[in-house]
Amino acid sequence: MELFLEVCSKLANGFITSFLLFALTLIFALPLGLLMSFCTMSKKPYLRVPMKLIVWVLRGTPLMLQIFAIFYLPGLLDLFIWPQINTGWLWLDTTFTTRFIAALVAFVINYAAYFSEIYRGGIESISKGQYEAGQVLGLTKRQVFFKIVLLQVVKRIIPPMSNEIITLIKDTSLANTIAVYELIYQAKEFMTVEGLIWPLFLAGGFYLLFVGLLTIIFGKIEKKLDYFKA
Amino acid sequence: MSFLEVKNLRKRFGDIEVLKGIDFSLKKGEVLSIIGSSGGGKTTLLRCLNFLETANEGEIIIGDKTVFCANGTEKPTVSLEAQLSFGLVFQQFNLFPQYSVIDNLMLAPKLRAKSQKGKIDQKTLDAIREQAEQLLATVGLTEKANAYPCQLSGGQQQRVAIARALMLSPDILCFDEPTSALDPELTGEVLRVIKSLKDSERTMIIVTHEMEFARNVSDRVIFIADGLIEEEGTPEEIFLHPKKEKTKLFLSGGHSEI
Ligand SMILES: Nc1ncnc2c1ncn2[C@@H]1O[C@H](COP(=O)(O)OP(=O)(O)O)[C@@H](O)[C@H]1O
Ligand SMILES: [Mg+2]
Repeated sequence: MELFLEVCSKLANGFITSFLLFALTLIFALPLGLLMSFCTMSKKPYLRVPMKLIVWVLRGTPLMLQIFAIFYLPGLLDLFIWPQINTGWLWLDTTFTTRFIAALVAFVINYAAYFSEIYRGGIESISKGQYEAGQVLGLTKRQVFFKIVLLQVVKRIIPPMSNEIITLIKDTSLANTIAVYELIYQAKEFMTVEGLIWPLFLAGGFYLLFVGLLTIIFGKIEKKLDYFKA
Repeated sequence: MSFLEVKNLRKRFGDIEVLKGIDFSLKKGEVLSIIGSSGGGKTTLLRCLNFLETANEGEIIIGDKTVFCANGTEKPTVSLEAQLSFGLVFQQFNLFPQYSVIDNLMLAPKLRAKSQKGKIDQKTLDAIREQAEQLLATVGLTEKANAYPCQLSGGQQQRVAIARALMLSPDILCFDEPTSALDPELTGEVLRVIKSLKDSERTMIIVTHEMEFARNVSDRVIFIADGLIEEEGTPEEIFLHPKKEKTKLFLSGGHSEI
């Protein structure tokens, strides 16, 4: 019983880190993704082409690789390219905070890339007539987007967005590869140190509960937007 | 004295010239019907008048003001005032689905008041609401003020769209086949509303396939074919005594496609 409580409290700690990573990723990636989708839809090639390339790379390579890249790259640059500067950023003696931030940055840009494609799909699915009706009524492009188009886009992208967001909470476990003490990391410690397997399954239960909660929340949002058809 | 004057309006899409020099003028309060088989350029003409397309050449003059002038070289500019001189009712209504009927009407005037004064006071808001309620009464939809577009029939949606277009009091109200997307039994209510809008202050341009309606409601009729005005005149002249062979052919049933 004591052991069970200890496992639970450790896992709860890990889950807080997982949740923090999840929440902060959403806070930054949701707006960043919108910005990126504007770039990929831009008529200006100097915005569109590089952004399409970036989105392609971010969606086309494993997230784990991106986490490694962001975590190790500054250190490697230190070692081989600017050894004379030696800023002292060596990954071996990083603190938890720098590791967490490295993971967060990787999650934000990776998820922003996925979100940007979802936004793009949603925005492009809105009929031209909505823009034109706004324009004829003297609305500016900004007003058309924020007052007319956006809510219709939100309604349309909720199903793919909720999928992606549910994937995100599970993907946070990838942060354990750079020793961010999230949920899976904590559970794995019980396995390696004490030879216990069941904490891992218990960790699975944490994810399951959280995803259940997310499902309910998204269901509520969908219901809230049920009053109109778009 | 003409109120609206359109001179030599030309529009190309790529290599294809869709409007090949359109000239016409209207007096204030006149109703113009534009007829012609599909693909002739009627929609493009209305879109150019509403600045949804930029004509490659030509002039648009309202009163004594040239609101649009293109000579084929530099990009012409259009003021917001010019944009608001025209209103457009679309074939597909294009109501904003997330807003109730009354909010569809109030959205543009509210945003306009906001951008003019920085913020909107209660008095302005009340005035806008009152105007919206009046227009809903005009189109016979007072009891639908709080309904959402998806709860309305096509005919009702189109009547809301007409009221919405009237909120900003455009000098010239254009209709692009306002009943073509409707079931036949719903066209009557929309046409009756349009007819009731006839007023000495309100100039209207109506693209339509409803010949009976065009004949009843319009002061002038233009027959467009292949991007050119083939024939122009009063309803009597066009419908009873057409001069051109193309017009006769069109009126004798060449237009049976909607
Ligand atoms: N955006 C566009 N790009 C290319 N061609 C167009 C475009 N809009 C209209 N057209 C062409 O212009 C011609 C006239 O179209 P339209 O103005 O819609 O005619 P109508 O309304 O009389 O049926 C058609 O041949 C159509 O294919
Ligand atoms: Mg048309």
